[in-house]
Amino acid sequence: MEAFSRLRALARNLFRPAARERELDEELRAYVDMAVQARVAAGMGAAEARRTVMAEMGKVDTVKEEVRAVRAGAGLESLGRDLALAFRQLRRAPAFAAAVVATLALAIGANAAVFSVIQAVLLAPPAYREPDRLMVIWSNLDLAGYKRAPLSGPELLDLREQARSFQDIAAIWTTTAQISGEGEPEQLRVGLATANFFSLLGVEPRLGRNFEPTEEGQGAPRVVILSDALWRRRFGADPGVIGRSVHMDGGSVTVVGVAPRELRLAFAPDANVPPELQAFAPFPSDHARDPRDQYYLRTVGRLSPGVSPAEAEREIAEIGARMEAEHTEYDASGRSFFAVGLQDDAVRPVRPVLLTLLGTVGLLLLLACVNVANLLIGRELARREQMAVRAALGATRGRLVRQVMVETLVLASLGLLAGLAVGQALLHLLVAFRPAALSRFGPERISLDAPVLAFTAGVGLVAAVVVSLVGLRGAMRHDPESVLRGGGRSGDDAPRRRMRRLLVVSQVALGTILLVGAGLLVRSFIALTQVDPGFHADRVLTFRLSLPRGRYRSVAASTEFARRLEDRLRALPGVEEVGAVSALPFDDLPNWSTPYTHDGVDPKSRGGREADARSVSPGWFETIGAKLVAGRGFEEADDGAGPPVVIVDERLAEKAWPGRDAIGQRLQVDFVTDQGFVPTWARVVGVVRHIRHRDLTEVVREQVYVPHRQSPRNPMAWALRTTGETRVEEATIRRIVAQLDGELPVYDVRPLLAYVGDAQGRARFTMVLCAAFAALALLLAAIGIYGVMSYSVTRRRREIGVRLALGARAGQVRRAVLGDGLGLAGTGLVVGLVGAALLTRAADSLLYAVTPLDPFTYAAVAAGLAAVAALASWAPARRATRFEPTEVLRSE
Amino acid sequence: MATSKSDLLQGTLDLLILRTLSLGPLHGYGVSQRLQQLTRGVFHVNAGTFFPALYRLEEQGFLAARWGRSENNRRARFYSLTRAGEKRLADETRNWETVATAIGRVLRATEA
Repeated sequence: MEAFSRLRALARNLFRPAARERELDEELRAYVDMAVQARVAAGMGAAEARRTVMAEMGKVDTVKEEVRAVRAGAGLESLGRDLALAFRQLRRAPAFAAAVVATLALAIGANAAVFSVIQAVLLAPPAYREPDRLMVIWSNLDLAGYKRAPLSGPELLDLREQARSFQDIAAIWTTTAQISGEGEPEQLRVGLATANFFSLLGVEPRLGRNFEPTEEGQGAPRVVILSDALWRRRFGADPGVIGRSVHMDGGSVTVVGVAPRELRLAFAPDANVPPELQAFAPFPSDHARDPRDQYYLRTVGRLSPGVSPAEAEREIAEIGARMEAEHTEYDASGRSFFAVGLQDDAVRPVRPVLLTLLGTVGLLLLLACVNVANLLIGRELARREQMAVRAALGATRGRLVRQVMVETLVLASLGLLAGLAVGQALLHLLVAFRPAALSRFGPERISLDAPVLAFTAGVGLVAAVVVSLVGLRGAMRHDPESVLRGGGRSGDDAPRRRMRRLLVVSQVALGTILLVGAGLLVRSFIALTQVDPGFHADRVLTFRLSLPRGRYRSVAASTEFARRLEDRLRALPGVEEVGAVSALPFDDLPNWSTPYTHDGVDPKSRGGREADARSVSPGWFETIGAKLVAGRGFEEADDGAGPPVVIVDERLAEKAWPGRDAIGQRLQVDFVTDQGFVPTWARVVGVVRHIRHRDLTEVVREQVYVPHRQSPRNPMAWALRTTGETRVEEATIRRIVAQLDGELPVYDVRPLLAYVGDAQGRARFTMVLCAAFAALALLLAAIGIYGVMSYSVTRRRREIGVRLALGARAGQVRRAVLGDGLGLAGTGLVVGLVGAALLTRAADSLLYAVTPLDPFTYAAVAAGLAAVAALASWAPARRATRFEPTEVLRSE
Repeated sequence: MATSKSDLLQGTLDLLILRTLSLGPLHGYGVSQRLQQLTRGVFHVNAGTFFPALYRLEEQGFLAARWGRSENNRRARFYSLTRAGEKRLADETRNWETVATAIGRVLRATEA
């Protein structure tokens, strides 16, 4: 009954406030009138009667105020008034409000953005059926330096037959193919897959069907599944495309399906399976007939029901050991197999980046909270008198606490809102500058979605609570009497001053950790840019061409084409040298490696040695400025008519013929001939410097180069070294190619430097972000020092004035203030350096050519921070000596 | 401190208002006059505490209010006791008597 009545009253008060006010007005007027009338009736004059009544009643506004206070919903109403008051107060201190909101916004925004990337990449599983039941299987050719090698056809078949832990195993390999007819000829990235590939992943085509087992292997009918993008672009999203034949690589292929739009292949970057391929076809060859040491299959298996990943790992390792014993081909490779969860494998290179970023923004948030707490204490100290006056005038303690709380909550909410905007903007930047390893996860998946918003709100809430607690502590502590008696000077603010100094110390410490981390990453990045990859990428323009197997089946035909093309390109103005290679450094084509052997090794095995192989034209090494160490480069005479020759890198020469001259030695490697891959004995004619072409920081395997005119691959990339004076236009290249063959699409026209940039992408991404966050941290720490020193100087005006009056020299006073600031910074610095030494270990895998305890970085950060601290204390120190002693003392 | 003092006063004022209105509906000024008469001027009603008390009692459902005409034909707001108000008055009266008796005993005991 009572509750119901209160509820009705609440509704009335909230929804018809104006009517309630009018009622109150009228009632009070009636009260006054009746009181006056009564007095007049008793013989008093009308004017006097009214005066007496009004005096007795007190201020009408006060009465109304009191009535309003007891009404239901009064709390809400006064919250509104508190909010208005808070906004008014904050408007009066715009610098303070802006500093708090900006600090919170930056920290919250950074957390939101980084977390949304983590959510999309590390936490969200790939869009396959039961993705946690999928594992990729690699072979580790440890002694050959090939730790994550794909499998060969016979190995895949063995695994399928022997592995009980997997219900099925599938594999894919990427290549290129030309599509023609119906529009411009175009080069496609094609995934050659086992027939069960999509059904194993649990991917259903959006149109048509998956491959049938009978469609794989030699002599099977040729079929293709188109990607959604290709289907839209080239076939106008025509549903009738299913069953139609298209021309691919000169042959006729039947379209059986269109892949779903969201399909992405979640392989690790070093698997060289791009996340998006334009078409998929079953392998046109029999895996049983592949050589056992031709490694090209990127393999993925689905666990049998009830089998744990650990059990599968064990079984795969056992099978590997058995195969190693059974087959002599593996002799010296130290071969083993290992299985690893698909997503774990895919995110391996980005996980440390993202975790480092998460740690960085976490520290930044901590620092921001400290900064805001510091700003709040500063404001509270400055407002002490105002609050004391209000308390003395009768504002209850609860009222003051509420006001401070409302004010901090307003700040926190504004910070959160602004933080979301900052997060959105930052996310755009993150996605735009993401390294290749991250781009494997669709940018469309990275967004400020529900979990991210929940996380951000959580972060914001923590920040708000911390901030409010500090504000509240201050408001509760006020003892108006002592503040007012002290003339706003003394008061017991010692605990809060100590607190502020502690906060500044922690700010500097946190800033130091972030700066050291960023410093190490910057040093790593600089080291990375100074890595000599063994070639010069500047002024080299590259493009790719794929020769349709139909018309360029023979080695002679492709040699003929390449010679004519290179002659024409070389004749272009501004072109110094032209060369061709089967795979550009740092591109995303599958690596080509070949087993090799040489005289003096047991002829029954090929030694288990594996070298990265490239097919190159005579001009290649000159074009990219690779250094010939011994012998000669390839010549046009090294063609089908001449004896087989190869060039090796220093590492292979050293490994195969230690201490001896490699030139003139015999080496057996795979040559691509008219009959396919054929192990061929060839003479070594030259030795070149090792070229880093898969990873800037790691020397991977030995390398062997075969002459394009004897062993061409398809596609090939051509490169032009230019003088830099005349730009070679893409259109010029297209025109020249079209003159030779009107049906060849030119694609991937890019400077070689862009590929090198890709290789530095991860390091650059991490470095730029961490450096930006560290710079922000430095700024916050500097503001903190400045604020505290500034306040301390103002507070000690009197003391400084006395000292100056007593003859202290300005320099001494300045030194004292500076010393104080530097002392604070120094303490923070020491704590921070120790923290950094402990924490930067975590980012070890991101560092290159620098240890987590790099003395140079620590020294540079210490010096830099000391300089910033000195700068931040300098202005307050100068102000201290500008006090006019007499003025200061008189004003007291 | 301050809050507990006003609580006591407020409780007393509420009780007196309820009792005053148990004799029949009255407007605000009437209630205040009646209170002064009944207490023979011991209680001087202050508008700043009197009106908030009226409104609170009304919102709690112990009083009902409607507009009517005063004896001088002035529009005024008349308050009357609701059933909940009557019950409340009975409870509070009993409470008061218990407390008053108890306090009286204590005071007498001290004197003796």
